[in-house]
Amino acid sequence: MKRRLSLNAFLAAAFIAAGTALAGSTADPGVSGDSILVGGTAPISGEASSAAAVARGAEAYFKSINDAGGVNKRKIEYKYLDDGYDPARTVQDVRQLVQQDGVFALFNTLGTNNNLAVRDFLNQSGVPQLFVASGANTWGADFKKYPWTIGFIPSYVLEGTVYGRYVVKSFPTLKLAVLYQDDDYGRDMVAGLKKGLGAKAKQIVSLVGYDPTAASVASQVAQLKASKANAFLIFAFGKFAVQASREAALLGWKPKLVIVNAVASSANLMTLGDLAGGKAINKGAISIAILKDPTDPKWAKDPGLALERKILKRYLPAANPKDGYYVAGMASAISMVDVLRRAGKNPTRALVIKAARSMNQLKHPLVIPGIVVKTSPTDGFPIEQVALQRWTNGHWATFGPLLTDKS
Amino acid sequence: MTTVPGLRGRAAASAISAALFVALVALLPLVLDDFEASQYAYVAIYFIAICGLNILTGYTGQISLGHGAFMAVGGYTTAILAAKAGVPYLLTIPLAGIVAGVAGLLLAVPALRLSGLYLALATFGVALATPALIKKYPDLTGGSTGLSFDLVSAPSWLGLSTNDWFYYLTWTIALCSLAAAWLLLRGRTGRAFRAVRDSEVAAVSFGVHLPTYKMLAFSVSAFYAGIAGALFAIVNLSYVSPETFALRLSVYLVVGTVAAGLGSLWGIVFGALLIEWLTVPSFEVATVSRTDLVDIVNAVARTSIDPQALGISDFVFGAVLIGVMLLLPTGAGGLLRRGVTALTDRLYTRGRPTS
Amino acid sequence: MLAFTWTDFAQQVVSGLATGSIYASLALAIVIIYRSTGVINFAQGEMAMFSTFIAWWLIADPGGPELHLWIGFALTLAISFAGGVALERLVIRPVEGAPVLTIVMVTLGLGIALFGLAAWIWGADTKRFPSAFSTRTVDLGGVIFSIQDVGFIAVTFAAVFCLWLFFRYTKVGLGLRAAAGSRDASRLLGVRVSWMLALAWGLAAMLGALSGVMAAPTIFLDPNMMRGVLLYAFAAAVLGGLDSPIGAVVGGLVLGVTLNLLGTYVSFFGGEMRLVGGLVVILGVLYFRPAGLFGKTAVRRV
Repeated sequence: MKRRLSLNAFLAAAFIAAGTALAGSTADPGVSGDSILVGGTAPISGEASSAAAVARGAEAYFKSINDAGGVNKRKIEYKYLDDGYDPARTVQDVRQLVQQDGVFALFNTLGTNNNLAVRDFLNQSGVPQLFVASGANTWGADFKKYPWTIGFIPSYVLEGTVYGRYVVKSFPTLKLAVLYQDDDYGRDMVAGLKKGLGAKAKQIVSLVGYDPTAASVASQVAQLKASKANAFLIFAFGKFAVQASREAALLGWKPKLVIVNAVASSANLMTLGDLAGGKAINKGAISIAILKDPTDPKWAKDPGLALERKILKRYLPAANPKDGYYVAGMASAISMVDVLRRAGKNPTRALVIKAARSMNQLKHPLVIPGIVVKTSPTDGFPIEQVALQRWTNGHWATFGPLLTDKS
Repeated sequence: MTTVPGLRGRAAASAISAALFVALVALLPLVLDDFEASQYAYVAIYFIAICGLNILTGYTGQISLGHGAFMAVGGYTTAILAAKAGVPYLLTIPLAGIVAGVAGLLLAVPALRLSGLYLALATFGVALATPALIKKYPDLTGGSTGLSFDLVSAPSWLGLSTNDWFYYLTWTIALCSLAAAWLLLRGRTGRAFRAVRDSEVAAVSFGVHLPTYKMLAFSVSAFYAGIAGALFAIVNLSYVSPETFALRLSVYLVVGTVAAGLGSLWGIVFGALLIEWLTVPSFEVATVSRTDLVDIVNAVARTSIDPQALGISDFVFGAVLIGVMLLLPTGAGGLLRRGVTALTDRLYTRGRPTS
Repeated sequence: MLAFTWTDFAQQVVSGLATGSIYASLALAIVIIYRSTGVINFAQGEMAMFSTFIAWWLIADPGGPELHLWIGFALTLAISFAGGVALERLVIRPVEGAPVLTIVMVTLGLGIALFGLAAWIWGADTKRFPSAFSTRTVDLGGVIFSIQDVGFIAVTFAAVFCLWLFFRYTKVGLGLRAAAGSRDASRLLGVRVSWMLALAWGLAAMLGALSGVMAAPTIFLDPNMMRGVLLYAFAAAVLGGLDSPIGAVVGGLVLGVTLNLLGTYVSFFGGEMRLVGGLVVILGVLYFRPAGLFGKTAVRRV
């Protein structure tokens, strides 16, 4: 029976050929003389499908590296499967990648529960789970228990803590009203906020969650305004953040401080909010930045983003260059390449995870200048620094020193 | 009782069909690779759930769009017992079924007053609300981050790989479930169920106590779903989360049940295979997987649609679902009914909205 | 919990009416199809979303014709009507006589397919949608509401009124009611039943388009736009009576207000539990008054 020649059949053949040719060179699956097979999952279908761009951005970057000769003369094959954001499907996908496709490592798998579902299995099997695309705290916090797993972006807890400390430092007397998405992400941010506020946590006079499947947050915003708070913290995602600033403006609320969480604060969304009536609220709003925002005119001539745009144009011509998810994916991929390079000419899984636990990227082209991608035997969080930024005249302007959750 | 002409022949054909099926299940792993065996374990899980839903929807005519919730009850029971009380995972399976069965009984009480699409809407609402309810009690359920228990491996004396163990465990339970369903349905209970579906008025006049049988059907189908949920948790690398049992699972179960049609073993197999095939793009049945469809379209229509482009996967899913329903309006069972005999009797009248 | 003031209470009511009108207008579309065909259309939300994208392309897309707002709206309604008819002919007609559950599965597949198609054509990023009415707000004793929200409610009631006129006074409308009542009898009377069903779908598609276009300025346009609305629209339809258009609208408004008040003043139903609140409403209504507020009979369909 004719079988369609699939990628993994080709790779299996290549692997076998390479293995017999270079007998005894490597013991781990997924590595051959001229390629490394890396696997991952992403929500290509379903309601979270806009986040699949993270995987595509990483893929584009790997292609550009391959065209330049690869890493230590090996090309990176990145195979990512659709899990529709369903943790049950992630399990089936990861099982396939590890047991049937024989990937060397997992990379950039997206979603908190999706990664939790496979963490035990991967750690038990000694398969590296690298640069998990999720802002949960556990990837960095529990790295001693799960040595094969490492995250990338700072956690939502850290972000909330930074905001809390900022409020204590610069706006200690304000009464805070917090709108948060009632799921892991929003709750993590609230937990961080309370941690950062410390004794001043009682300044929170109103804490209102909304259901992520809701149509509108108008009612919640009205409730927050009614608490007579004079600071509005928006820990909402995507269009809910835009709705929030619009509704707040429509209600005539004039808070002295507005904070918008990073995921919802892309210049694109903020501009949308401005145009839709939320301008008064967005003016002077505070957020944090980790990666460079492709819609921010400040980075128009930045070489890092110029490279990103060039790669997109070459390998993903239909991609929207304003989409920050591509930047996020490429940022992870850049660190991945760094790790693979440092794992040496004969990479094994053990060597790769060792390299991942001793990172020190000082000049990562896509992170805010000054932020260092760093790990060590006592530090499981690759990125722990963020920059504060303020929305002024239709774009973000960073200010102040880089912050962590401790300074 | 006078014998209907051909009844003995039909019974023999049923027995052969069943034997064939058991043989197929036992021998299939020989042609599958280790990983593929794990995919067929999921097929067994869906098989069990559809068996239960078949009893409910096909036999008593009550529609449930919320059986994912009972799978959640089963899955979480297993996880909670295994993780917090150290109960051996095998023991949790029947316990999960019982807990889910009780939940089904509780839900059946208000369900008695509803029928048809009202019941469908109510159960749809239950399925939708399940993740929120799970997250509401994090001390018990682990909340949004879910709950993990020890990874399961095959008993050493069997000498099987973990995936093969999953396969045989789930299919053994599936076969037992099927046998139990068959026994239940061929007797008085089955006749009572069918009477409830065909005409409630007639059933009552024959002395069938409606509420009892309706509740029984609900409870039994929930029990099945609970068992399926427990196995789901185990095969899912011992992890459950609210997202694992979201609305889409209930929808998949109904899709599988409708595609299965009524009262046919092979129909249920078809339904279970369909769910796995629709939801896992790389799952191959006879070497065709869902992703291959886009390639076929590209080859035939000379287009170059990227299967991984935004929205394409969903579009294919929806189109296939429509296609299956259009081709098999009474499910695979309906189609098979005309051919070789199925295990149980005839069923669904063609529904038409009447005043 | 929130200290109670009348102003805040009134604000939640006003906000609830605004959100409720989104539920109401989609529920209206659901009821039209249910009444005429006995089918719950699970694709109603996605059809509305798709129509809204068409409207966006006509009016606001820099790469599109950039028509005047009202012309674009009118064109969208016409296209949606045609689309609804086409969908019924292509996808529903082949299974018209099949068990209801099969038809429901078809609508489910349709919804998912439309979602995928919309994402593929227009992408997943959030888009702005222009409002038909002024976005100015009015402050009435501390309670703020926008002209746009008032306009939405008015348009929804106007739609119900037009439907009433249509069903009562036009031959086609009468034919539709007849076909809904008894297909065989209608055929005997010369009503082209099959086309009546297509007409129902066309009407519902138009109503869905209206819903999407009115709601999008507030909730913003993306392929997921109507996903959260569908359950609440079902709840509204059930609350009002699945065969009553005016019931759907009243049900939607009542639901919007009730959920707001529950979510604000009863801490158990805050946050994610608001969804459960919607479920409780459905179950409660179905338990105590299966026909809903305005419905006639608790129709049994299997």
